[in-house]
Amino acid sequence: MVLLESEQFLTELTRLFQKCRTSGSVFIVFNTDDGRTKPVPRKGHIEGFEPADNKCLLRATDGKKKISTVVSSKEVNKFQMAYSNLLRANMDGLKKKDKKSKNKKSKATQ
Amino acid sequence: MSGSFLASDFRNTFENCILFVVCSGVRVVLKYRHCDGNLCIKVTDDVVCLLYRTDQAQDVKKIEKFHSQLMRLMVAKESRSAAMETD
Repeated sequence: MVLLESEQFLTELTRLFQKCRTSGSVFIVFNTDDGRTKPVPRKGHIEGFEPADNKCLLRATDGKKKISTVVSSKEVNKFQMAYSNLLRANMDGLKKKDKKSKNKKSKATQ
Repeated sequence: MSGSFLASDFRNTFENCILFVVCSGVRVVLKYRHCDGNLCIKVTDDVVCLLYRTDQAQDVKKIEKFHSQLMRLMVAKESRSAAMETD
């Protein structure tokens, strides 16, 4: 799993989308990130560790290549704009609502 | 445990998802297949799973907005309650 900076992550994510246009899926997963580096022991707790509350871990894969990045509350605004644009630009293969078309084909547009 | 739901229910479960995200241990998964032309978003805490699948282009904007809001919630700290109130 490659941990990247936000900008690099976005570049690599664009590449993943482009790679998967003809076949395959792009999976994007995100969850909260505590900032933990060690596994939590069954009994007791890690000394000197306070779970961070303001970070989010974003992961992406095409089934083979894995990339990830951590987004904190400071970068979220800037990152989010770029990320939203990226998603909208790349997720363009879905069916458009066309009332006039007689023969609705289920194949996505190229 | 899991089930896909219709566009009409999407809005209703939106609020449920917001409450979900406030607790930790929640993940959001987005799956996009260009070759098949479908998009799927899943919100789960490993107990309950909410899944929405679509092949309509008009849903992309909705899902992307929803996705952004969830991300903001996860990242927000004390401002969580304020973020929950805004739609």
